[in-house]
Amino acid sequence: MRSINTEVLVIGGGATGTGILRDLAMRGFDAVLVEARDLTHGTTGRFHGLLHSGGRYALKDPQAAKECIEENTILRRIMPHCIEDVGGFFVVTPWDEPEYADSFLAGCRVAEIPIEEISIDQMLADEPLLNPEISRCFRVPDGAADSFAAAHANVASAREYGAKVRTYHEVTGLISDSSQQTSNVQQPASKVIGALCHDLVNDDQVAIHADLVINAAGAWVGKIGASAGVEIAIRPGKGTMVAVSQRIVNTVINRCKMPADGDILVPAHTVAVMGTTDEQVPDPDSFAIEPWEVQLMLKEGEKIIPGFKEMRMLRAWAGVRPLYQETKTNASRDIARSYVLLDHEERDGVSGMITITSGKWTTYRKMAEAAVDLVCEKMDTKRECRTHLEYLPNIEHTTHQITAETQRAQRKYSSNKPSRSWCLRGSNLGERLSKIETERTYGQLICECELATCADIERAINEDNAKTLDDIRRDVRLGMGPCQGGFCTMRAAGILHQGAVDGDQWSVEQTNVSLRDFLEERWKGVLPVLWGKQLHQERLNELIYINVLNVEHLPGPKASPLAAQPYSLSPSHPPSPLPRPALSQDEGLREGKGAWGVRGEGTIVIGAGLAGLTAAWQSAQQGGRTKIIAKGWGATHWASGCIDVLGYHAHKRAENPKKGIQNLITENPQHPYALIGLEKLADALTAFQELCQASGYPLHGSLEQNWMLPTAVGAIRPTCLAPETMIAGDLRSKEPMVIIGFEGYHDFFPHYAAANLEAQGYTVRAVIIDPSSLRSRKRVDTMILARLFDQEDFRAEVADEIKPHLKDVNRVGFPAVLGLKNPLEVLRDLESRLGCKVFEMPGLPPSVPGIRLHNILLSAIQKAGGRVENGMEVLAYSNERGAAKNCISTVWTESAARRTPHNATKFVLATGGFLGDGIKSSFAGYVQESVFNLPVHNLTSQDNWLQREFFHDQGHSIFTTGISVDNNFCPVDQDGKIMFNNLAIIGSALGYGDFIRERCLEGIAIASGYIAGKSIGAK
Amino acid sequence: MTSPFLPYSHAPELSLDQCIKCNICVSACPVAAVEDYFPGPKYAGPQAARFRHKNQNTPDRSVDYCSGCRVCNMVCPNGVKIAEMNARARGDIVRQGNVPLIQRLRNNLIARTELLGNLAQPIFPLSNILLSNPVIRGITEATLGIAKDAYFPPFARQRFSRWWSKRFKSQQKIIRVHPRSSASKIVFFHGCATEYYEPRVGRAAIHILEANGFEVIIPPQNCCGLPLLSNGEFKAARRYHENNVRKLLPYAREGIPIVGTSTSCTLTLKEEAPELLDMHDKDSRMVAENTYDFNEFLLLLHTASELVTEHLRPIPFRMAYHQPCQYRAHRIGSPALEIMQLIPELEIIEGHADCCGIAGTYGYKKEKYEISMNVGQPLFDFVLDVGGPLVVCDSETCRWQIVHGTGTPSIHPVELLAASYGYESEGALANVLNGNLPTSM
Repeated sequence: MRSINTEVLVIGGGATGTGILRDLAMRGFDAVLVEARDLTHGTTGRFHGLLHSGGRYALKDPQAAKECIEENTILRRIMPHCIEDVGGFFVVTPWDEPEYADSFLAGCRVAEIPIEEISIDQMLADEPLLNPEISRCFRVPDGAADSFAAAHANVASAREYGAKVRTYHEVTGLISDSSQQTSNVQQPASKVIGALCHDLVNDDQVAIHADLVINAAGAWVGKIGASAGVEIAIRPGKGTMVAVSQRIVNTVINRCKMPADGDILVPAHTVAVMGTTDEQVPDPDSFAIEPWEVQLMLKEGEKIIPGFKEMRMLRAWAGVRPLYQETKTNASRDIARSYVLLDHEERDGVSGMITITSGKWTTYRKMAEAAVDLVCEKMDTKRECRTHLEYLPNIEHTTHQITAETQRAQRKYSSNKPSRSWCLRGSNLGERLSKIETERTYGQLICECELATCADIERAINEDNAKTLDDIRRDVRLGMGPCQGGFCTMRAAGILHQGAVDGDQWSVEQTNVSLRDFLEERWKGVLPVLWGKQLHQERLNELIYINVLNVEHLPGPKASPLAAQPYSLSPSHPPSPLPRPALSQDEGLREGKGAWGVRGEGTIVIGAGLAGLTAAWQSAQQGGRTKIIAKGWGATHWASGCIDVLGYHAHKRAENPKKGIQNLITENPQHPYALIGLEKLADALTAFQELCQASGYPLHGSLEQNWMLPTAVGAIRPTCLAPETMIAGDLRSKEPMVIIGFEGYHDFFPHYAAANLEAQGYTVRAVIIDPSSLRSRKRVDTMILARLFDQEDFRAEVADEIKPHLKDVNRVGFPAVLGLKNPLEVLRDLESRLGCKVFEMPGLPPSVPGIRLHNILLSAIQKAGGRVENGMEVLAYSNERGAAKNCISTVWTESAARRTPHNATKFVLATGGFLGDGIKSSFAGYVQESVFNLPVHNLTSQDNWLQREFFHDQGHSIFTTGISVDNNFCPVDQDGKIMFNNLAIIGSALGYGDFIRERCLEGIAIASGYIAGKSIGAK
Repeated sequence: MTSPFLPYSHAPELSLDQCIKCNICVSACPVAAVEDYFPGPKYAGPQAARFRHKNQNTPDRSVDYCSGCRVCNMVCPNGVKIAEMNARARGDIVRQGNVPLIQRLRNNLIARTELLGNLAQPIFPLSNILLSNPVIRGITEATLGIAKDAYFPPFARQRFSRWWSKRFKSQQKIIRVHPRSSASKIVFFHGCATEYYEPRVGRAAIHILEANGFEVIIPPQNCCGLPLLSNGEFKAARRYHENNVRKLLPYAREGIPIVGTSTSCTLTLKEEAPELLDMHDKDSRMVAENTYDFNEFLLLLHTASELVTEHLRPIPFRMAYHQPCQYRAHRIGSPALEIMQLIPELEIIEGHADCCGIAGTYGYKKEKYEISMNVGQPLFDFVLDVGGPLVVCDSETCRWQIVHGTGTPSIHPVELLAASYGYESEGALANVLNGNLPTSM
């Protein structure tokens, strides 16, 4: 156990704690702050980010309103880089009492809050999405605060004045003079002399002795106080918020009514946050985000912005407000204040400790001032507060070694405003974009959604000492955009690994666990909003991390002690409403005149993924008139480009897919493989192999044995058929290899992959090459490399760079970018230049090997006389011309200014499952096929759709939902009755299995497409 | 107050909600493939759009490299309106005054096709000499930034509308091969290309319509405004579109179809103008819903068995066909191809190149000329590979770009159908047909 001495110890790294630390340090106290996790991990990091003007409290709590506007003015002055001056509106919607507005206006005037009523036209000009039925609108000086940046700025300032901060130090108990021990004592101590902490990073005990302890732990002050036998009655009030995936307003929108649930919409960086609820919970450490809370946000949001509930929700989170209830009469020092400051010597007879809690973020500085004033009183010294007189530093600048002296001089508050460059994470929305655009660093982006570059992440690692991806996230907003880490997690892990390897001891397991922790942390926040688009996004993220990269099987523990704690399980969903009625068949059929194209004859395949393309190819091959109608391209562009038939079964890697399928069929007789049968599966694969062979891109392998191929992060990935460009990487052989990366290419980190393979017993080296023809480029992405590899000059240049590194190896691994036009020629050429075997390792989309398969099928279809029309979404269907009952005659596609009809005699639905958006879900819990509104089967109740962990062994049951079919792949209803005679369902829409986790996406797609296409084309 | 409430589905930026970052657009973008300064549709569209706001001045440099070809929209599996987002971002750059003055002047010069035509066509012999003079072109490149090598088509001797009104006055007998009981009316939107450069395309279209028994109406009309839209000059484009709506509305109200041979003009009336300019009013919508691409309309007739397909004359040639991106953007399939397949002995080889590169006025800009030629290269290779006497393409600027890139003359599909109907061809098609077909025809 280590021991530390200080004058004042601050417990809690939120707004209040960091504010107090700065104030203490500026007044010359020797101070240490401890925080259980990272700074702002508690409530400060989980509120809506509103800098109050005070308007919200104008009637309910005039004292708070006055404090808010005073502090609002000060904070805008001292930390402009942490506050975005967006302004605020108070709006009277049709649901609000109109009388409130006038008393609100009067209340604001009394509290001296600058307020102005604006016209509805003006309001709509500023915020065009607002409800036009709003009757009155008032403008107030609200703001959007970056509480994370503010806490860091406070800490940076405090550090300059000599204070110290220890994060990931959890207080396990207070030390009192009576015991000299931590105590869960019932007996009140007479004097608190410090706190005992658990250092989570080093798993060590640390005792911190102090003359005075400031308990600023927010909702946790009660827990801290209890360890010294002091009762502080905190009722944690949970508030849940949801973030909309884009910044739909640029002004804080408040409802003009008595404060209640779900009446604030705050623009925050790239999102808008809708908040909040207020629910008392027994424990600040354990609470759930409940479905009714999310539903309420959507409902209330809709009143402010029509269409709100159809928008994509990015994430939900909940924080706990520390609501204080005094148990001892007249003990609170200043009842008139809107926060709570407790002198425990006076109140409980326990000296050495004061508690400050409650209050708002906006008034944190004032709370700190009051707390430190009390410290001065206790210490019997007179030192003036100066926190409102000096600028807070910019973190970027402090890390950039400007001398403390000049910096302090610069920061001294004067009438000069700080320059624009004095900003941290971008105090206005466009700042990051401007920076990227001005510097043309778009090729360096790691988190594309939030525009975080490679340099940003390296700085977080090297200068801010980030140890986990989550630390990096807090620094640079990594993974906080719509895809929630879908693309940047792997990239940042690669950089973290490389950066850490350069420095101290670091094992690849640490990187792996950090990667998994991060995906779990992101999952935690998206879980409450997983329906519609966000569920679609998560399915893509599953495809990337589970299917293509196979990160769950990378070496290392599943999770670390620093991993985020998931929210508690929520109570049940409200019962799902009845399924949505099918779209009216007449909807939008304005063009009654006739139909396009295949006039009454032939087949229309809807969807251009692997299943649809295979079906169309077979149908056209059989001589049937065939047309594909697709909204866009499909999962071929995302997946590995291998043909997975069965990779995992019963949580074990399947060595022999054939045997695995036999077992699978027995265990799950509804699995599509049971319908397809091994024989037809083998036929389909053979036909597909023949096509690829004839197209100069042979696929190798057999149903008897899976390949074990390395992924872009160095995991072992089982697959049945692999292109010739990948098979030399087979890990059943222990031949040593070297893995090649490219300077400036951020989708592939050879050192990370190599370290993982080494940890699994292979001999691997990594090399990053920097061919001169890449150096002048602003961006080097997968497509650029693939096109360059088509050129012989580039291959020669690459080979020359690699040659010196080939000692003792006989195979060379590349990212999967070895050419688009003639990959086999590229492969052979590289092999002959290097004198050893060459292979590709598939990684992040776009998938070049997948695009090759797509192109092969596309030209096969066109060669056989079929057509492929993309950019056309099928919206509806109809049954015209007196066609037989239960038959579809026409599908209608979305086109410019109208809908366009397409007639056919047979239809194939290949729009995919959740991944392809062929199955849609809504918040209300209905799940439906998206073109023909077919009912889905194998659907569990909404409470069981998803697991609490992203990587849960069982997978998420919602993804096994699909359409039931008969032996001819015709859709059937619950009673087994055929719904449409001339419609076949193929590919991932079939359900009754989680094809991503079973690694059988391509097997199902090709086999079902082959069977359907062949039988339809033949008829 | 010009900001009416937009229903959720209308503003293109809101469609970024649908983006799952999957990179399919990046893999298909023809500009990102050849130009380092264009980071690709995902970045320029749905990603940058999260950082843009109309009241905020952002130096948005890279989005200006988007050519607007809409290949991204067509391959996106989620219906994100990427090209529209980019076009509107460019509109903001212009509105915020972030385009250098000379460039803006240049853009306005090449984007105001109507003004240009009105000024230069009457003095066509001089205009044509000036436009093809290398010294003049060198000077305009150096001063204005108009690419000196970009191809400007020659102005026609007579404007299409002049020809029409003369013909109308002379009461030229209308040949009717179709025995319609009552003459249906139809409005022809000729667009600037037919008006000032290629009146032959308009004549062919009118022949076809009349052969099918339509009474053709050509009301006064303006430039559709697309060149201005794609240069971010939204204010001027709005004026054009408002004028067109006003002039076409009476016909749309009567249910008279409006057809056009220029795919980009019809697309602008249908969708581009209302969407980019937030003009979702009833009148705009009515005009949009009554506007058809020429072959889209013919195929509708054909499906209803109302298109004259008897006694079509054979055209025994093999020709390459390029479906322009602006045509694909109608999202109606390939009606021109299906109509051309009706012509006996004509062998049409369809290309699968994404874009010719010109993208309206894009390829006329000095800084983008090379990009436009690189983007077009796969198409040029295809055309030369097919090697027919002519290339068929629906859009005028694409035709000119193909002529420029391959030296092969280029025609509109309607010219083929008109010839098959027996009308006398003009221009390149006439040369080919006359040189190869028996003179008796």
